[in-house]
Amino acid sequence: MPNIEIINSGLATTIQDLGRIGHQAKGIPVSGAVDQYSHRLANILVNNPEKSATLEFSLLGPTIKFNVETFIAITGGKSEPVLNDSSISLNTTYPVKKGDLLTFRPMKSGRFGYIAFAGNGLQVKPILDSQSTNTRLSLGGYYGRSLIKGDCLTINDCYQMPSLANRSLSLNEEPIGNSFRFIRGPQWDLFSESAQQLFMTGPFTISSEADRMGFRLDGPILEIPQKNMLSEGAVLGNIQITRSGQPIALLADRQTAGGYPVIATIIGADLSKFVQFASSCPLVFEQVSLKEATAALRSQYQFLNTLADSIYQKRYQYPIGPTRKASSKIAETILNS
Amino acid sequence: MITYKYDFVPAGEQALHIVFPEQVDVSENQLIQELAQQLQNTFGYEITDIVPAYRTLTISFDIRKTTYYEFSSKLKGFLAQYVPDTKNEHTRTFEIPVCYDSEFGIDLEDVAAFGNLSVTELIKLHSANKYFIYMMGFLPGFTFMGNVPDQIAMPRLSVPRASIAPGSVAIAGKQAGMYPVDSPGGWRILGRTPITLYTPENPLPPFQAGDWIKFRQIDRAEYAAIKELAAHSEYQLKIISE
Repeated sequence: MPNIEIINSGLATTIQDLGRIGHQAKGIPVSGAVDQYSHRLANILVNNPEKSATLEFSLLGPTIKFNVETFIAITGGKSEPVLNDSSISLNTTYPVKKGDLLTFRPMKSGRFGYIAFAGNGLQVKPILDSQSTNTRLSLGGYYGRSLIKGDCLTINDCYQMPSLANRSLSLNEEPIGNSFRFIRGPQWDLFSESAQQLFMTGPFTISSEADRMGFRLDGPILEIPQKNMLSEGAVLGNIQITRSGQPIALLADRQTAGGYPVIATIIGADLSKFVQFASSCPLVFEQVSLKEATAALRSQYQFLNTLADSIYQKRYQYPIGPTRKASSKIAETILNS
Repeated sequence: MITYKYDFVPAGEQALHIVFPEQVDVSENQLIQELAQQLQNTFGYEITDIVPAYRTLTISFDIRKTTYYEFSSKLKGFLAQYVPDTKNEHTRTFEIPVCYDSEFGIDLEDVAAFGNLSVTELIKLHSANKYFIYMMGFLPGFTFMGNVPDQIAMPRLSVPRASIAPGSVAIAGKQAGMYPVDSPGGWRILGRTPITLYTPENPLPPFQAGDWIKFRQIDRAEYAAIKELAAHSEYQLKIISE
């Protein structure tokens, strides 16, 4: 079976998709890619459905040997990938053939990287309709764990990639600024005016306690409401304030319910930038309306849709192809003649 | 008509809470459970997830299909017309076998002392009661149940334990729960059930919020026997009423 072999695991390398959706009522966390935008982008670049399973890694990418012919794209943090001794670009589709080796240098910036594989991504058995991994619960993905040296993951051969030459994006180097937009959280009004002000003044930094579950933020300590609250459903991007007055932003592996007051929710359109943000930089939160939050996320989806469409539209533009099977066959024939 | 007051609160641009009066109340929660089902049936196209809790119903929706304003006004219309099912005919009671051996029930002595009871009386009181599942979460299959009789409603530990064995049956004040997986926690542990509450292969628990739980005391021998069956997925959880 065509597969990839993990020669070196990298850091916290797991199989992720868009999450285990619809089972939180029974306590099953959503999981899925921490940076959904980069996951989606990677899949678009290799012509996959948005839900196809990608490899997510943190700070250092894995070393992968390909026993398959396919196409890959790498997105997310600036991970410096190298394919057989040549540096390759992020946000670009590359053909790979049997025997190729993909390695990474440590990320220059950002936290999470994504590798998408053409032909509908990594092939592991879905559990509750999702291939995503939650390592705390040993749930999903590859035996419910991070990948280790020697793991072999099945992927499909893929010989054709329409408009391959146009699958390279020169995206903005990095999202600009250190400000993250939020809308008021369900318990905003429980906080004192000074706590609200302090939250908006900050600045905060992302602490070392930052993982797939959530990021704890260092910065001013907020006065917490006197009132206790009953546990309620937790939502992606919620910022809870713990009993010690420290904010935690809830991410992909968050628990399904929480009992800490939620002062704010980071808007969906800024989450990708947030999860990739450096620990060393101070950040601030800027309040926006629900209307603006909605428009911003919709325009992010629109951007991805337009991108997918525009790549597809170029399939008959020069240079057409290559339809890989043919080109490799020709190369072989020439070699053998 | 819905007799409780309720309100809509955004929890993000893709989620909202329907917030009911702040109380731990079986009737109110039964309405929330019922609505979770009905709203899922009615608005399944827009909804990505729906999480009933004590007094809230958290609904996540897909921003590509609707917006907060559009969706909450649809929900308002639906709820204004809604006729609750007051008979609650669909409630189930699951019987959970529990071994209250002192090796498992590490807080039995403390809770008995708290209630001025013998350990035997405590076990009798704990297992005679029927517990309503108000919500599930934070972990897969963790049950937030009530209500523990006042006499034994001992508050949680001030310093949580680093690790609690899967299957532990515990209380915290008036709340009752079961730990599906090894996790830290500050609840008072009274016993352990041999049934499997979580496996990665089959992560969904057999019961859901809105169901009732009744504990049945078993001895070490029966604990071992059921555990053996459960390990091979051969133990059939008993439903005592439906």
